Amino acid sequence: MIETILNYQRVTQMNRIFLALLLAAIWSGQAGAADQSSHAGHSASPLPDQERERKWKESLAKHSFALTAVFDEKGRLWLAAIQGQHVYISYSDDHGITRSAPVKVNAEPESILGDGENRPKIIVRKGVVYVSYTQGLAKPMTGHIRFSRSLDGGKTFSQPITVNDNLEIISHRFDAMGVNDRGQVFVAWLDKRDLSVAAKKGEKYAGLGLYYAVSDDKGKSFKANIKAADHACECCRVAMAIDTDGYPVIAWRHVFDINIRDHALLKLDAKMAPVRLSYENWNTASCPHHGPSLSIASDGIYHAAWFSNAPQQRGLFYGHSTDQGKTFSSPMNFGNFDAQAAHPYVFSLSSRVFLVWKEFDGERTGIIGMHSDNAGKSWSAPGKLATTSDVSDWPFLIGKNNRAYLSWNTKNEGYRLIEIGEEKK
Amino acid sequence: MKQLGLLVLLCLTALSFAPTSTLAAQEIKPFVRGSYQQIISARQGKPFIISFWSLSCGHCMDEMAMLKKLSKKYFRLDLVLVSTDMPEEKKSVAATLEKFSPRNAETWLFADSYTDPLYFEIDKKWYGELPRTYFFNAKNEVTAISGKLEHEEVERWVRAQYAPQ
Repeated sequence: MIETILNYQRVTQMNRIFLALLLAAIWSGQAGAADQSSHAGHSASPLPDQERERKWKESLAKHSFALTAVFDEKGRLWLAAIQGQHVYISYSDDHGITRSAPVKVNAEPESILGDGENRPKIIVRKGVVYVSYTQGLAKPMTGHIRFSRSLDGGKTFSQPITVNDNLEIISHRFDAMGVNDRGQVFVAWLDKRDLSVAAKKGEKYAGLGLYYAVSDDKGKSFKANIKAADHACECCRVAMAIDTDGYPVIAWRHVFDINIRDHALLKLDAKMAPVRLSYENWNTASCPHHGPSLSIASDGIYHAAWFSNAPQQRGLFYGHSTDQGKTFSSPMNFGNFDAQAAHPYVFSLSSRVFLVWKEFDGERTGIIGMHSDNAGKSWSAPGKLATTSDVSDWPFLIGKNNRAYLSWNTKNEGYRLIEIGEEKK
Repeated sequence: MKQLGLLVLLCLTALSFAPTSTLAAQEIKPFVRGSYQQIISARQGKPFIISFWSLSCGHCMDEMAMLKKLSKKYFRLDLVLVSTDMPEEKKSVAATLEKFSPRNAETWLFADSYTDPLYFEIDKKWYGELPRTYFFNAKNEVTAISGKLEHEEVERWVRAQYAPQ
């Protein structure tokens, strides 16, 4: 776990050493003085927790580049984005170049989480627009899972409901949503209710719980929350894909043993127990903010991509399963280690499979992609799909008419939808 | 070199008796491109710890509280805390530092919302997982660890670095 990663050459110039030592000495001196005075009883008065919570609440209003895009069955592009304290939905019939006037989902202002692993979700099926998102609450790292739908083609949205039936001010965050052809809606999320119970008893509980809820009436109402697993990792997105039988499969970073933060997978059909998806043995009590991706092809093959920073098995990984997740192929390690390859996303169109991820080459941030024409058995060479030189969202893949597209939002260029997978030389 | 060392020791002794206000809020410096090297260059030949943390990282609060305890015991411990949050979260970062961080830590906050180059400059093998801690010894050799550290582990390191020569 511990490794020496860099060696800085010592500066040999005497004056620089002297200056550095003097600065360090002044610093140590101040440190010593501060410590002594605190022993003498002059401790600074800490801000009360309410003040910290107020500041936290203010900080939730930061600008978000999180944008989720999906196609409906007719090929219309739908976008969910955050503006201020609202989720807005718009659509486009020309790949995002022109868009409909955005419609508010939540009429009442809320803190919508939209950074890194948090973002609103949108699915459009059979004319219904389904939206889920996480509402940030007053205390740090807390939230509620919210859901709304539109039955009139996105003109108006239902008043959002809270899906988690435990309403403590704790973490219910990192929502994932799936809808099947039967109109069932599945929402899964990370939930600290069991940790909360354990803490009250003075007991330890590794990670947090993974819960889900099902709606059998196209999102009009949700049934009681169900626990999918204990001991998920706290701050990585949950991936969800709908299997060919209409049941959702979820993949997430799990806490195995005491602190091994590899991945697990579970089909939410009440028949399967969680299985271990990855074996990098990343032993770390950290927040990777780096969840997996899952896609289930029409041929029933599961495709998964994930990240690990385990000393022996580092970087991005891909694996597929031909037996409904019971076993996975030997993981393929991909991405450029020296360019911080990160945030992989996998997407399948029958036997064609696509991977995208982020890299930074020292100058620009780029999205790299590669594809397989044989269900993930062999892959094309990686190629750069798009770049930017400022803030950008994670990359995603969506598809229509048997074509795959990179969906990427950046500060400088705005939203881009780029077709991938065609051999262009 | 020995003379320099003696001079430094004298400075240190003199300064440790100088009146210093601890009541002022900690200054949070803007962390931009070049800041990481600046932090390191200012400490050539001295042991120090740089710990990266964020408001969204529960393990980071535990680690900061642990470092605070150690910092009270070993007041020469040179600790740099860098928040990877957004510039507009400065007030929340300050409030969190006020609650958890040692008073004598040098504190920084990412001041460029384009964070990819910052991570790249810091360490190509770091992917943003938190807490991330870098231990620099007096030879400027660095050890990087992802994840919450154990008190004993850090104390062992501190004792070794600041042991009398």
